[in-house]
Amino acid sequence: MDFSLTDEQELLLESVREFCERYFTEDVIKEMYETQKMPDEVAEAYRDMGFGLMGIPEEYGGIPADKVTLGLMIEELYHSSGCNHILYQNSLTMFDIVEFGSPEQIQKCMDAYLETGWPLCSLSISEPGAGSDNRNMSCTAKKQDDGTYRLNGQKTWVTMGEHLPYTIVVAKDEDPSRDNAKMSLWLVNMDRAGISTASLHKIGQQCIPFCEVYFDDVVLTEDDRMGAPGDGFMMLMKNFEVERAFLVAEQVGLAQAALEDAAAYANQRIAFNKPIANFQMIQEKLTEMEIRVQNTRNMLYKTLWELDNGISVQLDSALLKRYGCTECFNVADMALAIYGGLGYTTEVRIGRIWADMRGNMFGGGTPEIMAYIAGRQVAKKYAQ
Amino acid sequence: MNIIVSCKIVPDDQDIQVASDRTLDYSKAKGTVSTYDLNAIEAAAQLAAAVEGSKVTAVTAGPASVDDSKLKKNVLARGVDELVMAADDAYANMDAHATAEALAALVAKAGDWDVVVCGDGSADDYAQQVDVQLAARLGVPVVNAAVKITPEDGALVVERVLEDVVETVRVPLPAVVSVTPDVAVPRIPGMKDILAAGKKPMEVVGAGGGAAASLETVACLAPEQASRKLEILDASSDGAVEQFAAALKAAL
Repeated sequence: MDFSLTDEQELLLESVREFCERYFTEDVIKEMYETQKMPDEVAEAYRDMGFGLMGIPEEYGGIPADKVTLGLMIEELYHSSGCNHILYQNSLTMFDIVEFGSPEQIQKCMDAYLETGWPLCSLSISEPGAGSDNRNMSCTAKKQDDGTYRLNGQKTWVTMGEHLPYTIVVAKDEDPSRDNAKMSLWLVNMDRAGISTASLHKIGQQCIPFCEVYFDDVVLTEDDRMGAPGDGFMMLMKNFEVERAFLVAEQVGLAQAALEDAAAYANQRIAFNKPIANFQMIQEKLTEMEIRVQNTRNMLYKTLWELDNGISVQLDSALLKRYGCTECFNVADMALAIYGGLGYTTEVRIGRIWADMRGNMFGGGTPEIMAYIAGRQVAKKYAQ
Repeated sequence: MNIIVSCKIVPDDQDIQVASDRTLDYSKAKGTVSTYDLNAIEAAAQLAAAVEGSKVTAVTAGPASVDDSKLKKNVLARGVDELVMAADDAYANMDAHATAEALAALVAKAGDWDVVVCGDGSADDYAQQVDVQLAARLGVPVVNAAVKITPEDGALVVERVLEDVVETVRVPLPAVVSVTPDVAVPRIPGMKDILAAGKKPMEVVGAGGGAAASLETVACLAPEQASRKLEILDASSDGAVEQFAAALKAAL
């Protein structure tokens, strides 16, 4: 088994570290959390270095990359910056458009990104009454006599919904009832008549705000459609598996940052006349933290390798999301404990990382839903 | 314009460890491009971008270990078109005199050239000697302390920052120009640059003739650790500033 990285991967990670050191200074990060946005300069530099184009096919101006390399890059982006910025999520909607969009939609997506460094759109999936229970979705597009559609409903937790010019909406076809599994994707500009938003306030990850989006008789045409009618949710589900893995890459990067902060602090902090790293209770915490980070990283790389090799990750991506996001959050929690009272202040960054990482347990599917997905498969795997 | 940029591969200073006898342990330090040479590479790349049809060739000489595929790609991912490297243990621990000789031989190999760009000094020895000695060997003028380089027909207009004055000079080509770190912020290689680097021409040669050292190193030790004096003045008391200034003077 070869765990070594290629020259290109190592150079990429060095560039990512340099990028983070140059652009994500503590002052910039502080401002990002206060103003709830990221400076355009950072988005533009990220684009110019080609990081945001990684994984997008060459024919659209992208830079082909395997998923292991993408995961390594994402992990380092969050490890080196120590903050929950938007950059990895920016690529996700672009992946969706490039995979499911029409040639015009793909062109629009790439033009917008290359011009601004920001993605074209947000992603509107969850609803107040339909998060994990996505069959309960009630947002609906109904066909009219003139061939257009009317979109009605409400979406929530729409990341960057108030900042990006378009959104991808998943809506049921014709009938909002629970029995109807037919859903379609629509790429809609946010300034269209009948669309309004309301800000939501997070307890962490303030630099990537989300909002509610309301659709009130919004007129859609066939040009707005993304992908085949009726298959909307299945399309999104297909990308969920890799997105979950990338979210864990983000989480393990942050956990590594938390671990490094806490271990450095434990070496410096004197209590009872010695550095607290000399105490067994602290050593146990550091050990448990290192185990969780290494375990998550190993599961992550294996899952990404499976994706690259066309092996189904239906089970492994759910196991990874549940274990990785939860246990990496626990790493941040133990780091907070090592800092003691200081950790609960804004004088150090660990509290911010801790609050950010709690949010990543929800995004992309909760640990509870991951158990629901994985548990049935494990039972089946060992059925006699 | 054919631009040559010289760079040195040095042990990564973050991983050099000081032993208890003050000697330096390089065993954990991997080779990396000398920090000041990253500015030189960027200045060369920007000069090339300013003159259509330019080519940037990087040259370096060092022990056999500098012939490392990642190191070579690292140089070539920074706006450099071609790399010519002399990697030979005969070139280990060279002083400025020997380095200039080795580089002059490589420059001769690189074909027609208009300018050789050097960094401010090497990140390890920082002798600031190679640029002038290289120019002497090549028989061309040298301009150092450059913060801005503007191409003109057959010449370069170079802004130099000296201790108390900013000087602008015009130097006919061919010439050697060494730059300060302020000349240009090194680019961060993007993924396209990194992927392209492995496909660029790289030539590795052995030591071409002996490079004689003019210096003999007697010892290379880390400075002795000085304990803090812990003289603390109360800033609010009368005459504290004067006392502080006097203490500083006494210490110097």
